[in-house]
Amino acid sequence: MKKKGVTKLIAALLAVALVGTGCQGQDGNEGKNDKGGGANNVVEVDFWAAPNPTQQAFWKKMADNYMNEHKNVKIKVSPMPESPSSEAGIQSAIASGHAPVISENISRGFAAQLAANHAIVPLDEFKGFDELISKRQMKETIAKWKFADNHQYVLPVYSNAMLFGWRMDVLKELGYNAPPKTYSEVIELGKKLKKKYPDKFLWARADLVQPTWWARWFDFFMLYNAASNGNSFVKGNKFVADDEAGVKTLQFFHDLSKNDLLLTRKATDPFENATAIMVDLGPWTFPYWAEKFPEMKFNQNYVLSLPPVPDDVDPKNAKTFADTKGLVIYASATKEQQQAAFDFVKWVYSDANNDLAWFKQTNLPPARDDLSTNKAFASYLAANPQLKQYAENIPNAIPPVDNEKVVDIQELIGKEALNPVVKGQKTAEKAWKDMKNAINGVLK
Amino acid sequence: MASPYLIYSLIFFLFPLLWAVYLAFTNWNLIAPDYEMVGLRNFIEAFFSESVRAAFLVTYKFMLMFVPIVIAGSLFLALIIHSLPRLKGLFSVGYFLPYLASGVASAIVVKGVLSYNSPFNAFLRRYLGLDIDWLGSPILAPLIIALMMAWKFMGYYALLFLSGLESIPKEVYEAAEMDGAVGWKRFWYVTLPMLYPSFYTVTILAVGLMFGIFTEPYVLTGGGPDYSTHTWQLEIYNQAFQKLNAGYGTTVAIINSVVTFVSILVFRKVLEKWGARHGWE
Repeated sequence: MKKKGVTKLIAALLAVALVGTGCQGQDGNEGKNDKGGGANNVVEVDFWAAPNPTQQAFWKKMADNYMNEHKNVKIKVSPMPESPSSEAGIQSAIASGHAPVISENISRGFAAQLAANHAIVPLDEFKGFDELISKRQMKETIAKWKFADNHQYVLPVYSNAMLFGWRMDVLKELGYNAPPKTYSEVIELGKKLKKKYPDKFLWARADLVQPTWWARWFDFFMLYNAASNGNSFVKGNKFVADDEAGVKTLQFFHDLSKNDLLLTRKATDPFENATAIMVDLGPWTFPYWAEKFPEMKFNQNYVLSLPPVPDDVDPKNAKTFADTKGLVIYASATKEQQQAAFDFVKWVYSDANNDLAWFKQTNLPPARDDLSTNKAFASYLAANPQLKQYAENIPNAIPPVDNEKVVDIQELIGKEALNPVVKGQKTAEKAWKDMKNAINGVLK
Repeated sequence: MASPYLIYSLIFFLFPLLWAVYLAFTNWNLIAPDYEMVGLRNFIEAFFSESVRAAFLVTYKFMLMFVPIVIAGSLFLALIIHSLPRLKGLFSVGYFLPYLASGVASAIVVKGVLSYNSPFNAFLRRYLGLDIDWLGSPILAPLIIALMMAWKFMGYYALLFLSGLESIPKEVYEAAEMDGAVGWKRFWYVTLPMLYPSFYTVTILAVGLMFGIFTEPYVLTGGGPDYSTHTWQLEIYNQAFQKLNAGYGTTVAIINSVVTFVSILVFRKVLEKWGARHGWE
């Protein structure tokens, strides 16, 4: 009897589950048709914004404004899940068939992984792409984003041309009126610093001795891009880095370490406390300073500069790393949804005032060629002079490697080259050779 | 009566487990529509991987540090609470609170305290001439993580010991006293053996915990320096979500499960043998 009862219960539950699944399947299909523009012709677009309140607020406002003018589109803005990272959240969504139609906050490296797996669509194939690029004045900026297959998969939203911050108050004490521009000038300054302040360091960066892949953007690539005039590192499946510039970059790290100018221990706000006098700096730091370190004043106790270059390179031509993220459209959406999402983006970027609103709200420089010359931004940049140099250098900023093996590649830069050079375990030449061999192994 | 649990287990344990075993033999990367069966390639790769080997060894290293510290610490706390004349509940809850604290938040606090320019390190440098790279040393970094975890779990395990202490009958102590067992002897020959069930539970829980460490090394060291804090969970996360090697990541997760199962089984057998020798069948 008991066994019979259990069997009956399982049968009942299975029946309920089957009926439920059946209903869901029907609803699901209808839902899909609706989303794609069903009887009432409303196209639903799921937009995942970066998981921070300012960016969400911006996109929500843009979506509301757009929907007021375009009644046939319904854009739902929500934060992308971070479990445990936003990339992992997107991967899980794709794997489970719940990817959005469009999302922002996508780095070029991650986009390369998505593109290699046909999870996102090329934006340059949309009707109106060229118009969008010309209206937003971003021809030069986006040119560097072209992938190895000659397509554009990401529309850069912002571009932080990474700069170095220098403690001008300490530089002045050491007899300088401007930051050094070449490697030998930096070493000379470091020696003077150590003589006067043995406890201070030139640069505090614990990541220099860790293989953390993304950390290479803010140390190795800033200096390599400056030394190589922005020469690519990897193109398609080929390692094409400038060997001479690479070895010089590593040699510079070696010299900094040898002269005890690097603090490779975790330190809290070392630049703000003047424990170190140089720092890799993005504009996201300024709101933090305004709140925690109001004494940090641009052109008073700190200034900004492009990365230093080898002695035989003209500092005027220096390039840097672009910390930049953008929008992608997912392949799993219907054609109608994809086009609706693209049209929304085109609408947003057809007005420079929207970029200005973004800039004001997030402090992240819009990825435009004309940011420092367009009148729309003039008054904001005049009121925030520390952002001007970031705006001016957007065309000099090189976006990250666009290879699906970006994590392995950048981990190897740390493991085989930068970490051992800083620790004094390898010469620059050997480190570069080992790194090159290891990366070639990954790219095979 | 068993069927709801059976259905729950099927959906949330058995199907995912079977799916994971299947994935472990593929090269799926989570986002590609297609993938291939790769046979034992993932297992062979994991067997020869430096980072998997590190995760295996680091877990036992953590175990060697964490298990004695947490057992001694939680037993000590339980004895203190047990000896209190009143407010036992309040102190028990107080010591339990770190267990509820967010691992990320406590790791960030520890990171701040141990940073180069923290007041603590500035004091050590200035007055004792000690310049210690706490999180950059392959010996100190795992020890700090083990101590952090011990702090977090001590209050929880102390509750298990406390319930063990509370359940020892007074008559046992009276009989022991009549035989001359007082003070240290009483603790050593009566209290400790009577706490065997609590020791058993706490040891198995503590050993199992070592195979799932993620937050503390993720926030504090990223698995470094030189893989000295690289755990199984970090390896699985890096492979599956950073490098998009979901198939390989699943392989590592399966190996982790097997190693965890075997390790706990060995510990159980050893503890049960030891217990049997002391009258606990």
